[in-house]
Amino acid sequence: MEELNCETVFTLPVIGGISESVVVTWIIMAVLVLLSVILVRNLRVENPGKVQLALEAAIGWAQDFFEGILGKENRRYFPYLITVLLFLGASNTIAPLCGFKPPTKDLNVTAALAVMSMCLIEYSGIRKNGLKHWAKHFAQPVPVVAPIMILEVVIRPLSLCMRLFGNMLAGFVVMELLKTVVPVLVPIPVSFYFDIFDGLLQAYVFVFLTALFMNEEME
Amino acid sequence: METLIAIGAGIAVLTGIGAGIGIGLATAKATEAIARQPEAEGKISKTLILGCALAEATAIYGFIIGLLIIFFLQ
Repeated sequence: MEELNCETVFTLPVIGGISESVVVTWIIMAVLVLLSVILVRNLRVENPGKVQLALEAAIGWAQDFFEGILGKENRRYFPYLITVLLFLGASNTIAPLCGFKPPTKDLNVTAALAVMSMCLIEYSGIRKNGLKHWAKHFAQPVPVVAPIMILEVVIRPLSLCMRLFGNMLAGFVVMELLKTVVPVLVPIPVSFYFDIFDGLLQAYVFVFLTALFMNEEME
Repeated sequence: METLIAIGAGIAVLTGIGAGIGIGLATAKATEAIARQPEAEGKISKTLILGCALAEATAIYGFIIGLLIIFFLQ
């Protein structure tokens, strides 16, 4: 059961303990920043290379995907959503690829992401329709539903956070149990389902739901 | 006491029944819909994934409650 805890890796003098998930998050951040600097060098309009074609296909897919949900006029939110998608995709699949524990297994990481999503959802609504309309929409069909609508502001990020955390922790626990029971060969196909497929699916679902809630808020 | 905690955690995980039935029904309807209208497959699978994620959340809540029971009642 000690695999479930997040250990403190080292202690800084003022801030306090730095946990494992923070360090893994830093590593992922560094890799993503380096990749995004390296991959966009030497981009050409004519005669593009293989890397550029793959990059364009991936970014084009992500932009089309968000454009289908949010519409063309909300392009300003796409970079944030694609960044979260990349970060979650990297951090959910890091366990079989690099051997770190996935940082999304820590409740604090998913809670921070969900709070950021909550701010973005409410901000997009306020920016589109104005503060007055945003305050009014809580009593929208009938004023009786106002408590439920206000609760929804908190429940939406809570469910985002718990869904991601629960899925990653469940996959992690199942993989650890399986590794203690059968350490050879059997964990490989199971790892493909629990770590890679489920991790990518949860990253997709997280940004999909964030975009969907934003769209709902902007109506 | 230990036994009662284990039983409680086991009962919390019974939420998985609801999520299983829900996802099963959704997938059955989605396959029917794709068989009837194969050209709408993209939209149907997008909606199916969303519905599955929302239905699955209940099972995940049960799992988290089970974990909390085991860790905090000991």
